[in-house]
Amino acid sequence: MSAEKPLSRFHQAISVPGRRLMHHVPLAFVRKKVLGGGGRAVNQEIPLIPFIDFLLCIVLFLLASFSASGELPIDKNVKLPKAENVIDMTDAPIVAITGTQILVDGNPAGSTRAIVEANRLQKIDDLFARLKAKRELWSQLNPGKPFPGVVVLQVDRKVPALVVKSVFQTAALGGFPNVSFMVGRLGGASSSGGGKE
Amino acid sequence: MAGIDVGGHGNKRATNHDIPLIPFIDFLLCLVAFLLVTAVWSQMARINADARVPGPPSSEPPTEEKKEKHLHVEMRGERKFQLVWKEGSTVVNTIDVVRKQVNAGAEGEYRYPDLADKIKEEWTKNGTHRAASDKKLDQAVLHTDNSTPFSDVIAVIDAIYTPQRDFDIGGKTTKVASFNVTFAMN
Repeated sequence: MSAEKPLSRFHQAISVPGRRLMHHVPLAFVRKKVLGGGGRAVNQEIPLIPFIDFLLCIVLFLLASFSASGELPIDKNVKLPKAENVIDMTDAPIVAITGTQILVDGNPAGSTRAIVEANRLQKIDDLFARLKAKRELWSQLNPGKPFPGVVVLQVDRKVPALVVKSVFQTAALGGFPNVSFMVGRLGGASSSGGGKE
Repeated sequence: MAGIDVGGHGNKRATNHDIPLIPFIDFLLCLVAFLLVTAVWSQMARINADARVPGPPSSEPPTEEKKEKHLHVEMRGERKFQLVWKEGSTVVNTIDVVRKQVNAGAEGEYRYPDLADKIKEEWTKNGTHRAASDKKLDQAVLHTDNSTPFSDVIAVIDAIYTPQRDFDIGGKTTKVASFNVTFAMN
């Protein structure tokens, strides 16, 4: 049998393998589609589910760390100085000294004007009474525990040293001898300095 | 898009539904943006001062008080600082440091690096409490003018806190400032 002889010469039970169905569709692009030929699919599914999972994680983290009132209430009239050798903030009563007012946790507790006019170091009676009340309240709520005596002073950078020293002395007399000054961090220094906690 | 296929029968209402994920993602992105914008990234810290001189109260009966050396920082001079080591009322040593401000920041902040270096050098030479197990700190007493602005006081306290030493807290050694600062009440 020569090689040129067509296979169709015989009545064949077995034919050449290949696609049979849809071969005679007249439209070329339809035939191409239905035959399953062509290149890689151009429609790609974006994996949205992992993306949503990721977004949900971010939302949960941000909600957990969300604080409606902000971490530290800073009076808008107070412009704090900055320092390098600082330690991290602590939870303590905050005494704010603005241009003219002295506030304990936002409540008025005296005026700086009287100190400046007197031009001498003095005990601030309102502040002393408020701090003493805070100390007594803490002792009632935590019986038997040693009182930490920490107070944070939030002082405007232009306030004269006389006022700062008067408040410092009053805080010590009111039972808060461990005084800290709130400052901004300067130059991203480490939080190892600024005195013993 | 995500879908739920529960099968379908004839001409009844379609039971296959696509969950609209794109508006959900938009909502989540808005929420993320809002939370990021309102997040508080606190830059606040504190700098310590202590009115418990010579140290925290102790339950032990007081022993014979040994006079310790204290560093008095006099900042009332216009052109110089004065560092005075005192034992009680006895002056041990006096050092003058030129008052030279160095700008540190865009908001008019300034530092006294010469003063910081001199205080560090002085503590290295004369500091009493150096061991990590020593729970006491050397005492610095700050003398200020009544009219000195608070920012200047903080710049000097910052310089005093420059020298640091090891300190044992619960078996762990950390770095703390070598001095404890208090104010001279005069």
